[in-house]
Amino acid sequence: MNILEVRNLNMSYKTIDGMVEAVKNVSFSVKEGESFGIVGESGCGKTSVAMSLLQLQADNGEITSGEIIFDGKDIVGLNESELREIRWSGISIVFQGAMNSWNPVVKIGEQIREAIREHYPNKTKDENSKKIIELFDIVGLDQSIMDRFPHELSGGMKQRAVIALALSCDPKLIIADEPTTALDVVIQDQILNEIRKVQQVLGLSLIYISHDIAVIAEMTDNMAVMYAGRIVELGPTKDIFSNPKHAYTKSLLESTPSVVGDKVKLKSLEGEPPSLINKESGCSFAPRCPYREDTCNPSLDMKLVEVGIDHYVDICSAGKSQ
Amino acid sequence: MKDQKDISKQIRREALKKNWTLFKQSKLGMIGLYIVIFFFFLSILQPILFATGLWNKGVYDPVVGYSEQFQEFLVVECPTEYPTEKYDSITDCPGRNEINVRTLFYSDAEVGDTIIQNLQPAPPSPKHILGTDSLGRDIFSQIMEGSQVAFILGLLSATLGVGISTLLGTIAAFFGGKVDAYLMRQSDLILMLPTLPLLFIISAFAELQVWHLAVVLGTIGGLGGSVITIKSQALQVKVKPFVDSARITGGSQMNILFSHVLPNVAPLALLFMVFSVTGAIASESVLSFLGLLNIDMSWGLMIYLAQVEGFIFSGMKFWWLILPAGLSVTFLTGGFYLVGRGLDEVFNPRLRNR
Amino acid sequence: MLKYVFKRTYQLIIVFFLFLVSSYVLFDSIPGNAFQNLLLNPQLPPEAYEQVIKLYGLDKPLSERVVLYIQNFFRGDFGYSYKYYPKTPIELIAERLPRTLMLFAMVNIIAFYTGFLIGKILAWRRGSKSETWITVTSVFSYTVFYPWFALMMLWLFGYRLGWLPIGKFLYPEKWYDAPFDSDVVFMSMIKFVAIASFIQVLAYVFTRNIESLSLRRNIRSVAFLILLIGSYLFWNSGNQNILRPYAMDIAYHMILPIFTVTVVAFAGTALLTRTTMMEVMKDDFILTARAKGLSQKRIRDRHAARNALLPVVTSFIFTIVTIIDGSVLTETIFSWPGMGQLILDSVLQEDIPVAMATFSFIGVFALIAHFIADISYAYLDPRIRIQNQG
Repeated sequence: MNILEVRNLNMSYKTIDGMVEAVKNVSFSVKEGESFGIVGESGCGKTSVAMSLLQLQADNGEITSGEIIFDGKDIVGLNESELREIRWSGISIVFQGAMNSWNPVVKIGEQIREAIREHYPNKTKDENSKKIIELFDIVGLDQSIMDRFPHELSGGMKQRAVIALALSCDPKLIIADEPTTALDVVIQDQILNEIRKVQQVLGLSLIYISHDIAVIAEMTDNMAVMYAGRIVELGPTKDIFSNPKHAYTKSLLESTPSVVGDKVKLKSLEGEPPSLINKESGCSFAPRCPYREDTCNPSLDMKLVEVGIDHYVDICSAGKSQ
Repeated sequence: MKDQKDISKQIRREALKKNWTLFKQSKLGMIGLYIVIFFFFLSILQPILFATGLWNKGVYDPVVGYSEQFQEFLVVECPTEYPTEKYDSITDCPGRNEINVRTLFYSDAEVGDTIIQNLQPAPPSPKHILGTDSLGRDIFSQIMEGSQVAFILGLLSATLGVGISTLLGTIAAFFGGKVDAYLMRQSDLILMLPTLPLLFIISAFAELQVWHLAVVLGTIGGLGGSVITIKSQALQVKVKPFVDSARITGGSQMNILFSHVLPNVAPLALLFMVFSVTGAIASESVLSFLGLLNIDMSWGLMIYLAQVEGFIFSGMKFWWLILPAGLSVTFLTGGFYLVGRGLDEVFNPRLRNR
Repeated sequence: MLKYVFKRTYQLIIVFFLFLVSSYVLFDSIPGNAFQNLLLNPQLPPEAYEQVIKLYGLDKPLSERVVLYIQNFFRGDFGYSYKYYPKTPIELIAERLPRTLMLFAMVNIIAFYTGFLIGKILAWRRGSKSETWITVTSVFSYTVFYPWFALMMLWLFGYRLGWLPIGKFLYPEKWYDAPFDSDVVFMSMIKFVAIASFIQVLAYVFTRNIESLSLRRNIRSVAFLILLIGSYLFWNSGNQNILRPYAMDIAYHMILPIFTVTVVAFAGTALLTRTTMMEVMKDDFILTARAKGLSQKRIRDRHAARNALLPVVTSFIFTIVTIIDGSVLTETIFSWPGMGQLILDSVLQEDIPVAMATFSFIGVFALIAHFIADISYAYLDPRIRIQNQG
């Protein structure tokens, strides 16, 4: 059962310099209980995808076309009050730099309570307190945190509290957008374990967004690789890692150092991501593609094509040899 | 090195262009700018009109001009009790084209005669777009003169004030210690003094002219609370890493002060300047309104004269004596304030719309 | 921490001292003095003038006088008013202060409340057509030429429409056979307003911890209703019954000045709130609040506005400092005999003891207000509160 299906999503931002197409024709699906990863470099559109799912994009952002089917219902055309019902109790999100997610003048416990009250207005104060204590248990926080203000907590504690907040309304799907980027490696490991534990215990679906491909490898069942607003490769994580088809995916893997094995010189990609303002059709990766040949047709429109079991790759790379 | 200078010039030019585009985006800023430009236009219009001879100085000079408007008046006698058939209240008599026989001292006219008299103050007419005041001076010309005064005074005092506070603020931030403590206490002292009474005192022992007032306002403003704000801004810059690196690479104190700290404090100073102008214009108007200023013509003075001559409570009958001046002060100060808000949006990205 | 407090207090005392000295010197430098009229009186011999000068010690050199004044000041002796002899400056201030306070306390409360409300709404509706025009109108309301505006209001409501009285704070005719002073009535009015607001604040504070929003709102509304009923009963009871018509008269006279000043004052708060809110709205926690599915109103009020409150409250407190300064114009135009008028008159008439006393009062007032501002900031911002406790 697919908890989420995204079909041909397009999202753009209106800016002084023009329309920025941040999300181009993105399609993927997430099953119940599955952990799905989105990887790509900064500015490739992964956060925009996350925001679109909850329709939280900035004021100048607009979903121009596509469908987002959550739990069987398309949520793209919904009005504000209907969306508010889905937010948090259906889909919740752990933001990048989640430490700033807290209102500095309100106690932590009260902020979590607020979310619960919004979606379950009939629960009593005691029930809510009990629930919060349970959540804190899951993420490893002491219950005294409830009465503290955000600035009294360390970064790691705030992060755990954010996860507790995200779980507070029993959502079916959680989006984690680079939740550990600002933390040190030790805490990062702990948080990742928490998330995995939570997911397994509660049977939630998870969309994990990161630029760190190593984390994606560890955390996800299926994944998508994004570049310049499009998905260039999509499929089971294991498959993609053992058998990457797209040139970009290969470059990503090759540029990550490995602790085991021989010392290998890292290969990095030349050039920069393209400007998303120009509405170019055709392969946006072509200028940087190390496998570019004369036969590579730059004006060929990008389209996903199946190359393995559930493994899709952009059409350009599909025809390439290993 | 020549290349470097060219490059930095180019960067500065592009930065200016970018700032201008951002400013244009701010609706408030643009409205304010239009208003300010309108009044600026008014202030330069007057000398042009005189210079090109389109306006006869004898007639249109705001201070000594005199315009005769002769008109026929019907001589009436105003009753002692109201209301009567003809008049509802005491302000209705004498009417527009009538004159009370009791005010005619030098004439033998009787009730029912028509005489020709000079109409002052005269309502707006093609010759005088906003009418004349009780001395026969053209109101529109006065407005333009007042505009000149406002601009000169406002900009002068604002520049002086901002100059002083920026200098003191940066010095306080930079040298710290006793210097800082002294400057902060000085600001406290100035803040404690009530502004208006202080201005009264000063005007009581010195006949203030526009220049004097500008200097006084500028100094008081410059030494006051703005020093504290600039100092805290300069402090933020001081702890930034690039200042340390500048020091390491051998920059002298002066050099660091001018090329690093000042440019970062400049936006805030500019903002202060714009808001100071509004304060200066308002202060001048208030002082003129109370008759404490030795000035030939300004908007505040126009209202002072109107009040002293008793036209305020005549309401709409003599509106041209009161409304243009009051509205001018309101709109020009408002315009500068809006420009300040627009600049705020340029310098503070969080305030922009997108 | 303690060392810092000491250092600050000692600096404060030095500043205040300098303030006194500079004020005195300033007043002294105004040419002439309060008694010059004596010279003009042809029936008085010039020796009379000399005698008076000697009596008041005005013939002593400036340095001596300054020292004498400071000494007397700290002894609590402020001399006698030159013009209103034998009243002392303290008596005059005590007489006038309640009147100014009454007027400006009301103005500030109303202006702050409405200003914050409007600024909050303006910032939230950023970019809409109505927002621009309302903001521009607020700006012009803020920068309107106050004397002109006040005169216009006076003309419109007092003269033309005849709805409200023109100036002064009571109808002298009505008070001819009043059994008491206007001050007594004033004091009781102030006491009443103070107690009423205190009760309201208490009600607010005690209901902070109630979980359910609707219950909280209901209790507060009930408290307010009780307050209204209580006020009605209070003013119709025994002693107050006699006071009531006089209080009503004063209140009637207050309407126009309060309205005029509020129009100008609220705009300042509204614009500041708007700017602060706009900055807060870009913070991450606002995004989180949206993601939580909270209503726009709740995000605006509970999250954005709550954070915007800090700078606005601080500025509000500083506005209070300038009450007396601001009241000069209002009181002059509306003939409202309060502190502002007192200062203006004493300066223009060179009634030095009164002028010095009022200036000193303003100085002390400013210092206290700064102190209160610091405390309330610490209370409102838990970050600072914890720092000071820990």
